[in-house]
Amino acid sequence: MKTKKKWMTTMMAGGLALVVTACGSGDANNGGQSSANANNAPAPVEAAKVVESTEPITIQYWHSHAEAQMEGLNYMLEEFSKKYPHITVEPVFQGGYPDLHKKLQAAVAANDVPAVTNVEVSSLPTFGDSGVFTDLTPWILRDNTAMDDFSEGMINAYAFNGKQYGFPLIVSTSVFVYNKTLLDELGVQPPQTWDDIDAFNEAVTLKENGETTRYAFSVPGWDAWYFDPWMINGGGQILTDDQSASAVETPESMRYIENFYKWKTDGYMHIGYGKGASDNMRQMFLGGEIAMVQHTSANIKMYRENADFEIGVSFVPGDVKRISNIGGAGIAMMDGASDEEKEAAWKFIEHMTSAEHNIKWAESVGYLPTRKSAIDSEEGKQYFERWPQYEAVFEHFDDVTPRLQHIAYPEFRTHYIEVIGELALNNVDPATLMPQAAERINEILADYE
Amino acid sequence: MNNNNKQELKLAASTRTPVSVRNWRTALEKWKDFMFALPAIALLAVFLYYPLVNSFYISLTNWNMTRPVKKFVGIDNYTYLLGHEDFYQSLKITFTYTIMDVVLTLAIGLLLALLFNVSSRFYAFMRGIVFMPYYISMVIAAMVFVWIYNGKYGLLNRVVAMFGIDPVEWLINPSTVLPALVVVSVWKGVGFAMILFIAGLRSIPADYYEAAAIDGANRWMLFRHITLPLLSPMTLFLVITTFISSMQVFQSIDIMTNGGPLNASNAVVYWIYTMAFSQFRTGRASALIMIFFVIILLLTALQWFISRKKVHYEG
Repeated sequence: MKTKKKWMTTMMAGGLALVVTACGSGDANNGGQSSANANNAPAPVEAAKVVESTEPITIQYWHSHAEAQMEGLNYMLEEFSKKYPHITVEPVFQGGYPDLHKKLQAAVAANDVPAVTNVEVSSLPTFGDSGVFTDLTPWILRDNTAMDDFSEGMINAYAFNGKQYGFPLIVSTSVFVYNKTLLDELGVQPPQTWDDIDAFNEAVTLKENGETTRYAFSVPGWDAWYFDPWMINGGGQILTDDQSASAVETPESMRYIENFYKWKTDGYMHIGYGKGASDNMRQMFLGGEIAMVQHTSANIKMYRENADFEIGVSFVPGDVKRISNIGGAGIAMMDGASDEEKEAAWKFIEHMTSAEHNIKWAESVGYLPTRKSAIDSEEGKQYFERWPQYEAVFEHFDDVTPRLQHIAYPEFRTHYIEVIGELALNNVDPATLMPQAAERINEILADYE
Repeated sequence: MNNNNKQELKLAASTRTPVSVRNWRTALEKWKDFMFALPAIALLAVFLYYPLVNSFYISLTNWNMTRPVKKFVGIDNYTYLLGHEDFYQSLKITFTYTIMDVVLTLAIGLLLALLFNVSSRFYAFMRGIVFMPYYISMVIAAMVFVWIYNGKYGLLNRVVAMFGIDPVEWLINPSTVLPALVVVSVWKGVGFAMILFIAGLRSIPADYYEAAAIDGANRWMLFRHITLPLLSPMTLFLVITTFISSMQVFQSIDIMTNGGPLNASNAVVYWIYTMAFSQFRTGRASALIMIFFVIILLLTALQWFISRKKVHYEG
C-alpha cells in the first residue's frame, strides 16, 4: 500500500512537471510569434529574388490524385524532371481532401511541412488566413505569369484577402448531365432558365398511380456546392455584402428552395441526401429513373463510359444570374518550406498549371482546362471534338465563379444544408426552418469576430 | 558469542564497503521499484499524460491547429459547449447507442455462451464462427454493411421484401440509423462477450449445481441463483469495457453515416473529429475531449461502486 502511494506521488509529480513544461513552451511560442508579427508592418509586395541554383534538391508534393489521375501525374512529373533535372519531386498521396487537410494541419503543428500541396478550394481561406500557405504574388511579379490567361473565376477562387495563395489545378464545376437519347425522343431541350423548368418537368416526368417512376431532374442535397449556385442565380446570397450576417433567409435567397419544395412535392424533382446518395442518384440516372442530374463535371467521363444511352451536358439554368461554382482542388506552396524549397516549389507549380500541358493534363485527369490560350489552341479544338460534352461548360467559362470565401464557411454551411436535408427526407417546408438556420449562422459569425 | 562468529564479524569489518558507495546502493535500493517501471512511465508520459495535459491547455485557447498563435480564451469553450443544445443532443445519441450496444452485446453474448458451452468439435466450430467477426477490421465490416443497408440495391432490403416490407433507407433514415450502427457493433463484439462468458461459466465449480440440484432447484433457479451471481465479475468486466468502447464509437460512423442524416448519428467522438478537422475548431474540440473524459471517468467509477456490492468473487 505504501509503495502504491509512493508511486502515485511520483506520477503526479511527473504529470505536474509536464503541465508546467507544456504551458511554458506554448507561451514561449506565442510570445515569439506575436513579437515577430509586431515587427512585420504591412509592406508592398515586391517581386521575389531570382534564386538560380542547380544544386540538387528534393521537394515533397502532397496530393489527393486518385488512381485514375496517376497516369497524368506521372507524365507531368517526367516532363518536369526533363526541364529541371536538379529538382526531384516526391509525390505523396494523402487520401481524399479531408484526409489531406487533416495531415496538413498536423504537419503545420509539427513544423515539418511539404513544399507543395493540393488544397480543396473551399478550405483555401482557412489555410491562407492562418499563414499556412505562401502568397505567390512575388514570384508572379518576378516571372510575369500571365494571370489573365486563366479563367477569371478559377484564378480568383485561389486568392483570398488580396493574396494569391494558389493556382487552379484540378477544376470542376457542377453541370446538368442528361439522357440525350430520351430528351431527343421526347423532343425537349434541357432548361436554360428557371422559366423553362415547369414545361420541362411536365414533358419528362412519368407517374404511375400518383407515384413518380421517372423524375425530370435531381439536385444533390448533400453538398452546398450544388445548390449555392441556385441561391445566387435566384438573386440571393449566403451572407450579406459585408459578410457580417446570414442572408440565406431573405426572400431572394429563398426563391430557389421554395421552388425545390414545390417541384419535389409535386413529384417532378428528386433530391439526394445522406451517405450513399451520390451512388443512388447515379444508379437512378443510369437506370432511367431520373432524366437529368446535377453533378460534378469530373463525373462526365464516368457517365459517358457507363450509360447505355447518349449523354448530354448543360450548364445549370439561370434566372437573375447564371453562374456555377468552382470545385476541385488547387496547388499551393507551404509557408514553412525553406527558400530553396520554395523556389523549386514555384517552378513545379508553374509547370503543373502551364498552358503547354493544360489540355493533356485536363484530359488525363478528367477535370477542366484552366487556360484560355490552351482552349483556343489546335490541341484545344481537338479536345472538344473528342469531348463535345465539355463545350456546354466552356461556353460559360467565366461564369464558373469562386465559392463563398469566408473562414467560417465550412462550419456554418452545415446549418442550411440541414434545411435541404429536412426537405429531402421529411418534405419539411424550408420556410419554417431557414430562419433557425440563419440564427445559427449568425451565432457562428459572431463567434469569429 | 563463539569464536567462529567473532571471526566472521572481523572479516565483515575488514571488507566493509566505503560509506559513499553504501549510500548510493541504499538509494538505488530505495528507487529500485521506480527504476524498473521507468520505461513504462516514460512511454505513458509521452503518449498519454503529455497529450492529456496539452489537450487541456489547448482547450483553454481558440487554436485551429494551423494558426501559430494560441489565443487564451479561458473557459469560453467549456461554457459554449455546456450551454449548447448540440452538446446534449450528441450526448443523448451517444448514450442511446451505448445502452443498446451494451445490453444487446451482453445479452446475446450470454445466450450464445449458454448455448455453445459444450465440449465438442461441432460447438467449437460454432464458437469459431460467432467469434470470427471480432477479427475483421471495423473499416472493412462497415464498408460491407454500407452495401447491405443500401436502400436501392442492398441485401437487407431484398430480405425484408420477402416478408412484404417496403424498402427502407436504413442509413438515410434518422430513425433507423442508430439501430443499424448498433447491429454492426453487436455483430462484431458478441463473439468476444461469448468467449469471456464461457470462460466465466467454466470457472464455476460443478459442486454448487449438484448441491442445489439435490435441494430441488430447477434449471431457472440454478441460472438465477448460481450462474448469474458467479458470472458477475465477468459481467462487470464486459459492461465496463463494452461501455467505454461504445461511448467512443467512431469508425463505423465515419464510414457508414458521417454523423448524419440530420446529425442523427453525430456521437460525441465523431463530433470531436469534425469539429477539430473539418471546422478547424481545435480548441473547442479539446474542451469537448476533456468534458467527455470526465463523463466516462465518472460513469465508469459509478459502475464500479454500484457493482461492488453486487459482484460476487468466487472464494
